[in-house]
Amino acid sequence: MKKRKRPVLKALMALMIVFFYLPIIYMIVFSFNEGKSLTVFTGLSLRWYQHMLETGGMLEALYTTFSVAVIASFISTVVGTFTAIGLSKSKKLIRDLMEQVDNLPMMNPEIVTAIGLMLLFITFRVEKGYITMLLAHIAFCIPYVILSVMPKIRSLDPDLADAAMDLGATPWQALMKVIIPQIMPGIVSGGLIAFTMSVDDFIISYFVTGGGVKNLSIMVYTMSRRINPSINAASTLMIGIITIVLLIINVGPLFAAKRQKREKERKKILLPAALAAVCAAGCIVFVRFGDMQEKRPFEGEILHIYNWGEYTGENIIGDFEEDTGAKVILENYDSNEQMYIKVANGESYDILVPSDYMIQRLILEEYLQKLDHTKLTCMDKLTDAVKGLSYDPENAYSIPYFWGTVGIVYDKNKVDVESLEQEGFNIFLNEKYQGDIYLYDSERDSFMMALKALGYSMNTEDAKELDEAYEWLVRCVETMEPEIVTDEIIDNMAQGRRALGLMYSGDAAYVMAENENMGFYLPKTGTNLWSDAMVIPKNAKNPELAHAFINFASDYEGAYDNSSYVGYTSANQEVMDVLSGPGGDFEGISAYIPRTDCEFDEVFVYNEKTRKEISNMWSRVKIVASNANPSKH
Amino acid sequence: MKKFSQMAIPYIVWSILMLVLPMALIAFYSVTQPGNSIISFSVTLEHYVKFFTDADFLIILWRSLWIAFKTTIICLLIGYPVAYYISHCQERVQNILVFCITMPMWINMLVRTYAWIGLLSQDGLIQRLLKMLGLGNTELLYTEGAVLLGMVYNFIPFMILQINTTLCKMDDSLLEAAADLGADSIQAFGRVTLPLSIPGVVNGITLVFLPAVSSFFIPKLLGGGKYFLIGNVIENQFITVGEWNFGSAISMIIAVIMMLLMMCVHKAEARNQGGKEEA
Repeated sequence: MKKRKRPVLKALMALMIVFFYLPIIYMIVFSFNEGKSLTVFTGLSLRWYQHMLETGGMLEALYTTFSVAVIASFISTVVGTFTAIGLSKSKKLIRDLMEQVDNLPMMNPEIVTAIGLMLLFITFRVEKGYITMLLAHIAFCIPYVILSVMPKIRSLDPDLADAAMDLGATPWQALMKVIIPQIMPGIVSGGLIAFTMSVDDFIISYFVTGGGVKNLSIMVYTMSRRINPSINAASTLMIGIITIVLLIINVGPLFAAKRQKREKERKKILLPAALAAVCAAGCIVFVRFGDMQEKRPFEGEILHIYNWGEYTGENIIGDFEEDTGAKVILENYDSNEQMYIKVANGESYDILVPSDYMIQRLILEEYLQKLDHTKLTCMDKLTDAVKGLSYDPENAYSIPYFWGTVGIVYDKNKVDVESLEQEGFNIFLNEKYQGDIYLYDSERDSFMMALKALGYSMNTEDAKELDEAYEWLVRCVETMEPEIVTDEIIDNMAQGRRALGLMYSGDAAYVMAENENMGFYLPKTGTNLWSDAMVIPKNAKNPELAHAFINFASDYEGAYDNSSYVGYTSANQEVMDVLSGPGGDFEGISAYIPRTDCEFDEVFVYNEKTRKEISNMWSRVKIVASNANPSKH
Repeated sequence: MKKFSQMAIPYIVWSILMLVLPMALIAFYSVTQPGNSIISFSVTLEHYVKFFTDADFLIILWRSLWIAFKTTIICLLIGYPVAYYISHCQERVQNILVFCITMPMWINMLVRTYAWIGLLSQDGLIQRLLKMLGLGNTELLYTEGAVLLGMVYNFIPFMILQINTTLCKMDDSLLEAAADLGADSIQAFGRVTLPLSIPGVVNGITLVFLPAVSSFFIPKLLGGGKYFLIGNVIENQFITVGEWNFGSAISMIIAVIMMLLMMCVHKAEARNQGGKEEA
């Protein structure tokens, strides 16, 4: 049949290809960008690749991604194949039942499978980490292999194995020499599907991992809040590896076909499969090897830190590893509550960096161990304002890391200081700025803002006052069309994309340093005077090393690196003076030095009853916000 | 052949442990209270009541189903013609095109979604293009449109591949027969091609709708902090709020809804096919 040209379809196809590849190419291009921006290309540079190599975690993440994929797809291919053969000879009842069971991971939303596996590991007290991730991947890969092998077995002559055995083959020989070769295409495509599913997975890995084990997608997810072009670099590396593997799989057969035209069908498939396996193994060895080179001879001990995302300086971890020979595993969280859930579920870390009220809670619930002050050299270096605060009056459990306030970052061109002075936090209800504000997605600080706007204490236990604060927030999200954001507020405010935003002083300092049109205002009705401090959990595996790290991070160099990179106010007095003094990174930036002279400023106090209430009410506020204003179109 | 059938036994044990037990655990958590253990617990339907008596949760559930529906329709409307085009190319070109569509799936879906952030963000490539075309300064990132785009981008390959597979399997002589019997190409498409491709369409719909309903990272990355879908509510319950029992209840609800929907789709398909054969 003669085919007519189909220009419309052709154009659609072309558009489709552009649609598929545009973001990928865009990402590759911007991984070579000199600047930090994701929108303006300023020049070619390998800076982000270097950054990626230096931060270490990324190569490990790539290694995890591929090693899990290779091992999981190999095991599930073998197990899936034998199971499929076994099932084909089983009773129909068992076969049908297993078909239903196999459908579970395919017919269930992924998040349900993920949560089921997470609950399974937690219920049976399996420590979450690499092994659990691998088990989970095997679990969801096998059904795909069975699904792909089954039809090939069905199309086999059922008497084939019998015939082989009649001719003197053992059952094993019949299996390996007759059945398996016949169904090879199904096995290979099953293995490829398993590999694809494993590499592509994020949701299941995200819920079943632990202990700092991350694959690339988990890494990207936890880092995506702030612009970090090394994500692009790592992704480009991954795309590179995948492309090589795919080229070998797809081009390999062409060469093979040319060279051995008369070779049997199965060898054609075996060769690329073997090549793919070799290549994947090569990638693993390569990444492993790169990893090994990083290790120093006197290393051995491991320090497990669980800290806020983007909360450590560029060099501090590397310097600490070099100094002590220890290996640091850094895991990030983006809220105190997220950290708490992991700790309360028994995950072991050596250092945590929670906020004031959370430290109080962890002390109260006996998750922390007392610090050994004879091993600490840092107390004298701390600024007075952060010592002996109410959550830990003797600093028996905690050594401050960063501290600051929460205030309003505003665009000086759009907002004048007088209205800020008059309205304080109530400016977030001023309809003049409708659609032009950012709220921060933190239950505590949102309620702090509302309570302070209403003139109450942010530590109130009064149900009526809390209700009023809830109403205040609901009014805000219903009438003001705010964006409720987390760390993406930093880059967006630095670009001047909104007139007003609720921000931590440290982020505000960064924004002001980037954009001189931005100001920082602390309402006179008071605000949250917060501090984040390093603590050692009771179940820490290496408290010795943890003490060493606390000293290291509180010393001038460590604290300077942290504060100048992150932008938050250091707890180290000298670092604070130097950075805000003449020639310092934050000279003339008001947000860098927290206010300590306002009588209405408070430190959060932990209270189990109000915590639950506030947590529930805030998730309601967000739901109301999403329902009030789901779309701009 | 007893020997061979024994090979399935290890996996039967494994699948009970790794596939059935997790579902049972979700069901267990969804009807108990925090602090209950497997040995001593009391059954409660409180979490389900909480979900179904709360308009806001129901709105979010509805929105999740609705956006998944829109995603599926868009994928079908774009995916079908693309699959049709591919299936009518020469075999060599076909292989290349299928490869082009599969290739992005080998790159992790989260990475693929992340890649859109730069393109969609303010002053990003797409917005600048729109500005040049005089379409004004519309915000793209953190809108429902961005979420929809992200979903279509992630899931449309499933639709194209499924439909393409059935179209390729189709016997060309059927079309020739239709032409011989006087059908024009539109009639041939409507009477022959389309009905025969229904199984692929159904599989495609399943493979797009299912992940779209429960997606939580696409709304989070491209929809900003306030675009909540049911997947985000579940993630929140487990990761930040810590109410696992309630989270499990929502998971059960969504699993059951999906199962019912899928059953309906397959029933409808089966009836359709059956009807055809009788006619």
